Amino acid sequence: MRRRRSRVEGAARALPEAVAALSRCLPAGPSPEIFRRAKFDRPEAAPVLWQLLLRVLSPLAANNTWTDLAPEAQACLVKSALGSQGYPRSVLLQFPDGSSQGSRELLLALSWLLARGPLLEQLLAQTRVQLGDQLPQWEAPTSPGPPAPFVEPKSPVDLRLVEWLMGRLRFRWRCLISSQQEQCILLSKIHLYTQGCHSQRSLGHLSVAETEMLRDPESGQQLLQALESENIRLEAALEWRRRELVFWQWMDTVLDTCSPETPAVTSQPTVLPAISEGGLGELESVKQELQALQEELREVSEPRRAAWEARVGGLGQGPEWSNSRKALQEAVQQELAALQGSWERSSTPGQPQRPHRLVRSKDGAPRPQGLQAAEVIRTLSAKEACLKKVLHQLQRQCQQELARLAGALPGLIWILPPEH
Amino acid sequence: MSIVTVQLGQCGNQIGFEVFDALFRDSHCSQGLCSKRDNEAYQASCRERFFREEENGVPVARAVLVDMEPKVINQTLSKAAQSGRWNYGQHTSFCQKQGSGNNWAYGYSVHGPKHEESIMNLIQTEVEKCDSLSGFFIIMSMAGGTGSGLGAFVTQKLQDQYSSSLKMNQIIWPYGTGEVIVQNYNSILTLSHLYRSSDALLIHENDAVHKICAKRMNIKQISFRDLNRVLAHQLGSVFQPTYSEDSSFHYRRNPLDSETVGQACLMPRIFVWSLSATNLSFYPQTGDLMEHLVPHPEFKMLGVRNIPQMSAASLAYSTFTWAGLLKHLRQMLISSAKMEEGINWQVRPPLSGLPPIGKASAHKEHHFNTSLANLVVLRGREVHSADVEGFKDPALYTSWLEPVDAFSVWKTQRAFDKYEKSAALVSNSQLLVKPLDMIVGKAWNMFSSKAFIHQYTKFGMEEEDFLDSFALLEQVVASYGSLGP
Repeated sequence: MRRRRSRVEGAARALPEAVAALSRCLPAGPSPEIFRRAKFDRPEAAPVLWQLLLRVLSPLAANNTWTDLAPEAQACLVKSALGSQGYPRSVLLQFPDGSSQGSRELLLALSWLLARGPLLEQLLAQTRVQLGDQLPQWEAPTSPGPPAPFVEPKSPVDLRLVEWLMGRLRFRWRCLISSQQEQCILLSKIHLYTQGCHSQRSLGHLSVAETEMLRDPESGQQLLQALESENIRLEAALEWRRRELVFWQWMDTVLDTCSPETPAVTSQPTVLPAISEGGLGELESVKQELQALQEELREVSEPRRAAWEARVGGLGQGPEWSNSRKALQEAVQQELAALQGSWERSSTPGQPQRPHRLVRSKDGAPRPQGLQAAEVIRTLSAKEACLKKVLHQLQRQCQQELARLAGALPGLIWILPPEH
Repeated sequence: MSIVTVQLGQCGNQIGFEVFDALFRDSHCSQGLCSKRDNEAYQASCRERFFREEENGVPVARAVLVDMEPKVINQTLSKAAQSGRWNYGQHTSFCQKQGSGNNWAYGYSVHGPKHEESIMNLIQTEVEKCDSLSGFFIIMSMAGGTGSGLGAFVTQKLQDQYSSSLKMNQIIWPYGTGEVIVQNYNSILTLSHLYRSSDALLIHENDAVHKICAKRMNIKQISFRDLNRVLAHQLGSVFQPTYSEDSSFHYRRNPLDSETVGQACLMPRIFVWSLSATNLSFYPQTGDLMEHLVPHPEFKMLGVRNIPQMSAASLAYSTFTWAGLLKHLRQMLISSAKMEEGINWQVRPPLSGLPPIGKASAHKEHHFNTSLANLVVLRGREVHSADVEGFKDPALYTSWLEPVDAFSVWKTQRAFDKYEKSAALVSNSQLLVKPLDMIVGKAWNMFSSKAFIHQYTKFGMEEEDFLDSFALLEQVVASYGSLGP
């Protein structure tokens, strides 16, 4: 009897501890009491949960300006973000913005996000304390983030104002590029000047954070505090992983308390990819088709290649051809890389890259781990070529569309902007 | 953030020298009227922007000098070396033995491609010596051959090679009754080419500067040197460091203090300053100027006004108030006045819905100057008390841009060039429409009778190029005209 009671008591304690661990590792995590109130759909839990969802869903929520938004705007953003992630329950959308209803639905949304993907790991990665130097963000964000709240313009907007604003954006962009170049030059200087200062032989020089720590003890203290709080969150995350089963069992009960007439079929289709039933059979036929095409290509290309060789004959040899040959080879390699890149991109959608620390080392020194800068440059050039192709294609489409429109209205003279 | 200056032609080189001299003299001026710390930061900002350090301690201007004749460049270099305070770099000049004969096409189509590599290499070397490149400042005239034609060519090449850097061209508008017969052709060709490849065209009219010298500075025999000095004064009052409106008036403690550098740290002094100079929120970047004034691709022409302007002798006996200065500056803007004398006080901003007082059709002189965007730079004592509300009046601006977007103000306590208070205005407005229209008209008259065209076509230009230029400039005139009510 006593063992069962202590087991029951242990079980009773497990849930609050699990929820506490969860809230410790979430950014601005609410107290476990909020979670309990949310199960019973209490109004005081709603605003807290709206804010939490906003922080969790928006990658830009690191700066506090988002939390200064009015509750209506916050609710709007959260709803649209959930929709773009494919959240199936439409009950949440029915609550008016800014009301304090629906805390239970918010709780369900949060646990859906937690269950669906590596949410905690992503959040923790976003707020990592960096000791080494990073390159500026060179992975395009895979999800565009919640769309900005739609503001109805008071009157028709003058086109010139739009052009003015576009111009300002372009200037800011150029300033950003200059600042990044400046950052690279200065980083390079720091690395050069602090060679031999680092205790780890493999790294060899200090990073900016480490240099700042040596220069200014206050910032060292701040760094220490940041690391300590990150440790707390990481430990909380580990604890959560051990205890989360209890939480999911409890969430099942929350789902059960929802009214049974909530529709299972949603108005918005989910965006999760579905593998069709006849998938395998289709793959086979596609493979056969591909092989047939390859055969055909080979048959067509061989005689043409032979004819070309016959015509060209001895040309193409000799020193004056070597430069042009090299240039041609490079161009072909770039094209191939671009083609490869466009194939590979569709297969690996946005795996989070492990952040790399920038280290400067002498040429030829053996580097057992990490990426070489040359490799990274190659990857980036390939991506650039690929994106340029896409841009040109889109521009051609635009031009064709403009030409079609110009043709459709005879009697109207179109003056297109000068080519750049 | 550093600016690389390219001085082109006789005009560009002479003005360039005066600009660097004015900037240097001001930054080392002892009558700054501000604290020692502020003064040091001001000096350091100016130096980082326009000069670089050499081993012997004499600052070197970040400049490239280009001319097709050696005379002016040699004069400029020797003047700088003589002063002993600052100098041009050792191998930063490029010249040839033969000029361009005031022929734009010769400068653009012959000199340009022939010397492209040497000139771009010189610029590249200078750029590499910058920690961070803010942009290029290209000084040239419009009427001659080298400055205008070669200048247009060089700007285009800079656009190709440094597409993410900012470019501002300082253009000297020739005298209306200038000596060069084909100056109007050269002018329209220059303007149209620069409109395509530059970000901002900062225009100074020789006529206006001449009047300032005559009436305000009381100079009897006006030489080019006097004109250039007035010009340099105007430019310096815009380019020297300031605080921007919303940044705080505090700045980081001076990291050059040797006690703060830890013993474990082996960094040399110069590097520490570079790191913190970029963190200084002391002065706004050139990008801010561009972003606030010329983001629209059709409106790139900027005019500069600076008050007060007077001879050093009169300066000692004059005092000014911000209210008075700003009132005059505002009226100068509205009435398109070139200086603070002879301002037409009849011109008033239009009341909303009503046509402007003194309709444009009857009295051309009473035409109200509608602005697109304005920047006011205030330097001197008690600058916080200066009230710029008059410039935020929506009636001054075009209908589709709010004053909050169109108007910006920069301030600093630090006085400029011994003027206790000075106010400068950089304006993107209809100030230059009339002169532009006049030049286009004169050039068109010449063109329609095919006068002197063969001088241009024999160097590879075609009549098509002229027609394109006319079309572009007519478009610019029309765009600026449409700003008004």
